Amino acid sequence: MSGPPDLTALRSLTGKRFWRALDELVDQPDFRVRMSAAFPALASGPGDWRRRDILKCLGGALALAGLDGCERAPDQDAMPFVEQPEGAEPGVARFYATAVEMDGVAQPVIGKTREGRPVKLEGNGDHPASRGATDAFTQAALLDLYDPARSTAPLHRGQPTSWARFETALAALRGELDGRQGEGFRLLTARVGSPTLRRQIETMLDRWPQACWHVHAPVSDAGAGERLRLDRAHAIISFDADLLGPGPRQLWHATGWGARRRAFQAGEGDATLFVAEPSPTITGVTATGRLVAAAARMGTLMKALAVELGVRAGTPLRLGSTERNWVKRAAAALKRNAGRGLVVAGSEQPPALHALARAIDQRLGNLEVTRTVAAPAARQQALDMAALAGDIRAGDVQSVFLLEVNPCYSAPSLAPLLARVPMRIHAGLHADESAAAAHWHLPMPHLLESWSDGRAADGSAVLMQPLVRPWLQVRSRHALLEALMGGDRADRDIVRETWADALDEEGWTRALVSGIIAGGEPAAASPPGAEPPPVQELPSEGLSLLIRPDPTIWDGRFASNPWLQELPKPLTKITWGNAIHLSPALARERELASGDLVRLSVGSRSVTGPVWIVPGQERRTLLVHLGHGRSRGGPVAQKVGFDSYPLVNARGEVRLEKIEGREEVATTQHHFAMEGDEFIRFVDTLADALPPEPPRANFFSAQKSSPAWGMAIDLDLCIGCNACVVACVAENNIPMVGREQVAKGREMHWLRVDRYYEGSPDEPSQAFQPVPCMHCEDAPCEMGCPVNAAVHSPEGLNLQVYNRCIGTRTCSAYCPYKVRRFNWFDLTAKDPPELRAVRNPEVSVRGRGVMEKCTYCIQRISAARITAKKEDRAIREGEVMTACQAACPTQAIMFGDISDATSGVSRRKASGRDYDLLPETNTRPRTTYQARIRGGEGKS
Amino acid sequence: MNARLNAADRVLRLPPRFPAPRAWWICFGFALSLLGLFLASVAWLFGHGPGIWGNNIPVGWGFPIANYIWWLGIGHAGTLISAMLLLMGQGWRNSLNRFAEAMTLFAVTCAGLYPILHLGRPWLFYWMAPYFNTMNVWPQFKSPLTWDFFAVLTYLIVSTLFWYIGIIPDLAAARDRARKMRWKIFFGLGALGWRGQATHWARWQQAYRLTAAIAVPLVVSVHSEISLLFAAGPVPGWVSTVFPPYFVLGAAFSGFAVVSMLTVWLRWMLGLHTLVTLRHLNMLGCLLLATGMMTAYGYAAEMFTAAYAGGKEAETLFDRFVGPYAWSYWGAILFNFVPLQLLWWRRWRVRPILLFLIGLSATIGMWMERYMLLVSSLYRDWLESSTGTFHPTFWDWSLFAGTIGLFLTLFLLFVRFLPVISAFEVREEAVDG
Repeated sequence: MSGPPDLTALRSLTGKRFWRALDELVDQPDFRVRMSAAFPALASGPGDWRRRDILKCLGGALALAGLDGCERAPDQDAMPFVEQPEGAEPGVARFYATAVEMDGVAQPVIGKTREGRPVKLEGNGDHPASRGATDAFTQAALLDLYDPARSTAPLHRGQPTSWARFETALAALRGELDGRQGEGFRLLTARVGSPTLRRQIETMLDRWPQACWHVHAPVSDAGAGERLRLDRAHAIISFDADLLGPGPRQLWHATGWGARRRAFQAGEGDATLFVAEPSPTITGVTATGRLVAAAARMGTLMKALAVELGVRAGTPLRLGSTERNWVKRAAAALKRNAGRGLVVAGSEQPPALHALARAIDQRLGNLEVTRTVAAPAARQQALDMAALAGDIRAGDVQSVFLLEVNPCYSAPSLAPLLARVPMRIHAGLHADESAAAAHWHLPMPHLLESWSDGRAADGSAVLMQPLVRPWLQVRSRHALLEALMGGDRADRDIVRETWADALDEEGWTRALVSGIIAGGEPAAASPPGAEPPPVQELPSEGLSLLIRPDPTIWDGRFASNPWLQELPKPLTKITWGNAIHLSPALARERELASGDLVRLSVGSRSVTGPVWIVPGQERRTLLVHLGHGRSRGGPVAQKVGFDSYPLVNARGEVRLEKIEGREEVATTQHHFAMEGDEFIRFVDTLADALPPEPPRANFFSAQKSSPAWGMAIDLDLCIGCNACVVACVAENNIPMVGREQVAKGREMHWLRVDRYYEGSPDEPSQAFQPVPCMHCEDAPCEMGCPVNAAVHSPEGLNLQVYNRCIGTRTCSAYCPYKVRRFNWFDLTAKDPPELRAVRNPEVSVRGRGVMEKCTYCIQRISAARITAKKEDRAIREGEVMTACQAACPTQAIMFGDISDATSGVSRRKASGRDYDLLPETNTRPRTTYQARIRGGEGKS
Repeated sequence: MNARLNAADRVLRLPPRFPAPRAWWICFGFALSLLGLFLASVAWLFGHGPGIWGNNIPVGWGFPIANYIWWLGIGHAGTLISAMLLLMGQGWRNSLNRFAEAMTLFAVTCAGLYPILHLGRPWLFYWMAPYFNTMNVWPQFKSPLTWDFFAVLTYLIVSTLFWYIGIIPDLAAARDRARKMRWKIFFGLGALGWRGQATHWARWQQAYRLTAAIAVPLVVSVHSEISLLFAAGPVPGWVSTVFPPYFVLGAAFSGFAVVSMLTVWLRWMLGLHTLVTLRHLNMLGCLLLATGMMTAYGYAAEMFTAAYAGGKEAETLFDRFVGPYAWSYWGAILFNFVPLQLLWWRRWRVRPILLFLIGLSATIGMWMERYMLLVSSLYRDWLESSTGTFHPTFWDWSLFAGTIGLFLTLFLLFVRFLPVISAFEVREEAVDG
């Protein structure tokens, strides 16, 4: 109680009321404030409901409930519009150009919506950074939009609250900051690619000069300022740089590499790729020359290359014979392609190495051809996390705004410091670890439901427009910064303002329609020509540990996305978790088998997890992936794998101790050695062809029809990036089954990417092979089915009739390729409404006990056939693109009519590299493969 | 002579005056508890789906199909003993044929349930039958499964008919001897008004022998058909022409093993020493040895063809020797053929306990063989990438134990309520002999 009760006020009260204290009876405003401070849960519900108000609303709701039946659109097929709104055509898909973002790099997409629901993302074919393709993350972004675990309303100290309350608190904060010129305020963001967001941050820093902006990026990206043109690079030398590997620039690099490699196949120049790396990556697997070398050897190797090329004077370095041979070959390739080569160092490598790589490129005249430098994007440069930590320790930070970052998970050393900051605001998609540590958590919309802009990997700007109106109480990043500044403009207007000068109204509309901002690329600055600092040779004693982002869930941001959790990692095929990767030699030495539990410690910090033996890993190198072991962020994210962040920046000796027990690692492939089989075939040079197959007797004549659908997968172009796998999941409503079921061998992917190695496990030759249904002309599955559920279409498709299937599984037993998938349980009936909304309405959702498999995207074939029939013509070449084909960044997958000898797929099948998988089964598959070419040197 | 005649009479009095009620109740209690497990397993299966088992891709077939083949194989011995030996005029079979036929019936019941339970959507199993329907779809006649469906159904019908025709005269005799009204009605209904007239006997002889003549080829055709389930698939380790005879012989072998066990058990429980003599045990031992050695020949032939074919076939063969399922291969060899060698000597053949144990061993061995043929071929067929091991779950085992419970329950009810030995045929043999 604060002083005596207000007696006059008490006396003026009439009627019956119950009260606990006289203050409550009087109900003074200051009492409410004290009350809410003491009992936040009791006092601050959204909007302080009273009994009478609730009853009023209840009555109102009852009265209005009848209207509900008239208004809501049922989720199935009915569209009860009496008057159809303009532009809304039921059953017809609409497409919008927009983009999603990863680590500040925008990925241009075309979003497909059906009845107002986004159902599929395709690459924006007109955009140079996409050329119609996507990566796996972009495909899976669609599911992030519908994630049932997304936070739905603002939280204050963990309790649901209203935006109005936050605005009140924000107004108080703004007042304070205006008075102190922003002193003590810190904005912590992820990497910022959006020009609008940059502009807003700059405006904020102009208004509050004492405030600071920090960027937290758990995954280092040393090449952020550069643009690599792999399509122009005839010889690429990579030192531990995973150019083609998962990441924000994967699509840009992979489309470039694909274009280069296809040009090489057509006889235009070289496409060689030399990779030195400590642990296998998909870049290493794709390489024409791969060297297994410790991360610490990269400096020595690059110096040797520089010496070899005469860029550096120096004595010959001490190299092993394999190393010397690799350097010589790499140098020869660079010399042969002077002016169109490229030398790249990995983002984990020290700056000196990057400088040396640039110096080599400069000497060979590669700069401005294969490597351009981006102009600095903003006046204000962000500070890093160390500066923030220092300021908090010094007590200089009064309030912090965490925008789309989760430092309490991805920077464990900062988490205890953050707790010292008196005012902490967090904004993000999920109520994650940092949300739990913040006073305020503000839910944000997914980029597919908001207005924004960004910069693609090629440097051009793209606009993002919403595919759907947000259905949760969310505010975008632009709206939040606008609110911080006291404004209340709509998101669209904020973004429009950024482009007010560059785009007139017509240009803006055109940019929205096409997704491309013409001339949006900032001018490249001239490259620095200074002599690079000397490269330090690092000692390589003992074990060395590499900490890398996870190939499927990245730094942990995608941990709540089941499509990515269940996506097999390209090289290990591990799903739902991570492992400590080690070399076969080290495993032998320590007597470890895959799945054995170990404690991995660096200095005083340690993690515990299962080991996984990775052929082709450097002897003394260990590797762990980040992103797992989340403690918050939704049921999908939690309890998966172990958290490797505690090891980041840890110093000291790396130790590996075996501990009791084993952990089952859920993998989709258990045997990787080809063991003398020819599943993946190779030719040595471009001029070589495979030996002809002996003719096989067959009772049946070859099937003829027009069109006759077929697929050709060029293994020489496939980089194993998994984009096709996620595209297939998104297109065909493929259910995810979870870790336990994957471990049992019941994953549902219709398309898988097999990975094989040949040769010694220490330095193997490796390759990927995407395996969809082969659509055999003489299909054993069709013979086995007792009820005619597996049948053949006149156009050569091997069909599965779900309604007719009774689940004998004979087809799967007889399938030599094991591409059929069975619904062991009812995998779809219990999906929450959000996950039903993401489904493609053109593809049946399969029930329990039914076999399913790749259909060559029959729904797309049907759509094309209907269009063609309406226009009274045949289906055109390229009119049908399967989902996997559309997503593939290197165009390794080609689909089309094989009865037309001029079609792309027929031309590929006519090449000397074409072969059937398992020809001895004599199934006449419609899906065929083109052999990989070992070398990359074109005709000289 | 009189002893056998009396004994034949005693068989007819067994149901009303059961000699071993205590032993029967203990066995029946055990069987009922397993039957309960069967019902629980089926309920759980229908509630959740086939995912409760260990099956996966590549091993899409697991316990259900292996057990199906095993049960069906067991059934064949009954038909062989009663029908084939009847046609060949082997009178000694009269002491064994009735319960051997009952065993066939119940084993086929267990076998027939499995492919239905195994389905992803078991409630639509009848789509395998060719019936007129509005969908205008027929079964797919190239599929071995369609023919499986016909084979099992035919076999079940013919076995039931053969068994029932055989038991009619005994039911009539039991009806006439029964003192209590409820037994009279029970047996009377089953006897279909049999009065023992000469015309009855003449018709009966025709019907019985005709059914026997139909049943004998069925043994060969049904199990050959079942073997096509494997042999028709392009799976290394399956696609082999040796499979049909190999399966039929294995089926007869496993069936005789179970008949031996049942013989020894009934002989002991019901005190049938005068009817089931050492001669019968000796004959059973010989049959077991003969079919067992033929099965061994099947093994050798299969091994030779695989090794001769080379390639994936030879790889699968080698994998069976040393791979993760080597236990099932060597287990099959050990349990099937090692104890069997004792049966070369008459003095071991006429030891009831030993015969029982050898029968048990062969039953286990043949189960391992079915398991081995199925799993070791499927788990690693063509592509290295699709290798995946199979591990049975609790529900795999519980359903298997449950079908054993179903078999035992039915068999014990048969033992309790019907004449277990063909009394009139024994009598006929005794009088004629």
